[in-house]
Amino acid sequence: MVSRRMYISLVILYGFLLGPFLIIFMASFGENSTMAFPPRGFTLDWFANVFETSQFIDSFWISLQLALLSTIVSLVMGMPVAYALTRFQFAWSGMVETVFSAPILVPGLVIGFAMLNFYVRLGDMHVMTGLFIGHTAILFPYSVRVISASLRNLDPYVEDAAVSLGANRLRGFVLVVLPNMQAGIAAAFVLGFITSFNNVPVSLFLSGPGVTTLPVSMLSYMEYYFDPTIAALSTLLVIFTILLVQSAERMLGLSQFV
Amino acid sequence: MLVSPAFIFVLVFFVLPLIFLLSQSVLPEEGGFTLTGYVDFFESRVSRVVYLRTLKLGLIVTVICVLMSYPAAFVLTRMPARRRSFLMSLVILPLMTNAVARTYAWLIILGQRGVINQTLLSLELVERPVRFMYTETAIVLGLTQLFLPLMVLPLVSAMENIPDDVLEAARNLGADRLETFLRIVVPLSSDGLVLGATLVFTGSVTAFVTPAILGGSRLLLMSTLLRQKSVTLFDQHAAAVIAMMMIITTLAVNLLLRVLRVKQS
Repeated sequence: MVSRRMYISLVILYGFLLGPFLIIFMASFGENSTMAFPPRGFTLDWFANVFETSQFIDSFWISLQLALLSTIVSLVMGMPVAYALTRFQFAWSGMVETVFSAPILVPGLVIGFAMLNFYVRLGDMHVMTGLFIGHTAILFPYSVRVISASLRNLDPYVEDAAVSLGANRLRGFVLVVLPNMQAGIAAAFVLGFITSFNNVPVSLFLSGPGVTTLPVSMLSYMEYYFDPTIAALSTLLVIFTILLVQSAERMLGLSQFV
Repeated sequence: MLVSPAFIFVLVFFVLPLIFLLSQSVLPEEGGFTLTGYVDFFESRVSRVVYLRTLKLGLIVTVICVLMSYPAAFVLTRMPARRRSFLMSLVILPLMTNAVARTYAWLIILGQRGVINQTLLSLELVERPVRFMYTETAIVLGLTQLFLPLMVLPLVSAMENIPDDVLEAARNLGADRLETFLRIVVPLSSDGLVLGATLVFTGSVTAFVTPAILGGSRLLLMSTLLRQKSVTLFDQHAAAVIAMMMIITTLAVNLLLRVLRVKQS
């Protein structure tokens, strides 16, 4: 059914998707200090520069903390929601589902802007708290959906069996349901972490003096400097992502959840 | 009871700021309810041009993504499982890298001394570097690269369910390749198409990083206009109207395509 000619479409697709990465990779080792192509020579200076630029190091730690914290909180609060939505039929379930998918429907930039106006400008909230809340809100839909998917794969009778054998609901959940959800939770964690770690739109308005996430500080660095430091940093991030995604894919089959 | 902590969190920290945003757009600081913010938005040439440009580029990006993804997604679903899962992880990879890193590449490709210009110059096709940066083409290229995976993934999962037998039956009944593709594959994967189109279009019209880097202040889209109004010009009333227009647009598109999907099934 698939003709040889149709493989051209794959070449075009992957060329377009991955070509830019190849160019970033090449530029990060080149000696030219402006964005010229092809890069000349070979140097690791730009990589060294990444680690010597304090704005990247500081914002990296903020992004890391933010991603870990908001992912964990969204998982802990999202798990009971996913459980309730998959196990029980209740009057409000349609509305609950809509409310929890809402953060996907509203543009991230608008979420950040609305939070800045209401909580930071009007309510005098600390920007870091604002960032944490904004990120947690946008991760809910992912957490609820991925965990719901893994719960649906689990036979509800297994849990009922535990209860009929004398465990209470909580005990049944912790000892029987939770261990069976490991893969789903891990997948939700990886997805949530990456989503928060890479987010620009929500963070953009909520970044304040001294509190900037890594992608936002990359963006502001590019306004002033044109050297390949960003290329080097991007190369590092891509390698980090490949390692994370490949190991997650191998262990959990991440693509079925996206 | 199980849903209440998360429910309260979303209501307080997500819904409440949005209600405030709505009120900001209709209640200017001078006081009194008014829709002048929205009237001004459509009467001002700048914001009208920006809004239409945003919609136009979103539409172009969506069409390009459909054209690029359709045949490729089909080939992917007819592959041996192992090779396919490897190729699918390569589709996901860009999705998991931050937009700044991905857009940076286009500076190297499209810049004054970038890949395309150096090639054109060395082939002596042009005498001076062509300006690609800060053009609509640059933004379209950047957005297409950014959102292509969001079209490929739903299409692949829709086409997975088309059995080979159906395609063979069509062939045996005399349909050629193109006919089979248009009359069997396309209708059977329309769910994925509608979902992908929604994701790509709404993503494109609200993206910030790509228009900020590749369009700058010279070629504004809604997102960069919002930023400019709020941060540079400090006009929060006008900024709130722009933000509301972005929400309304996204919701309208989602609703429209949902109706379309219901009608089909």
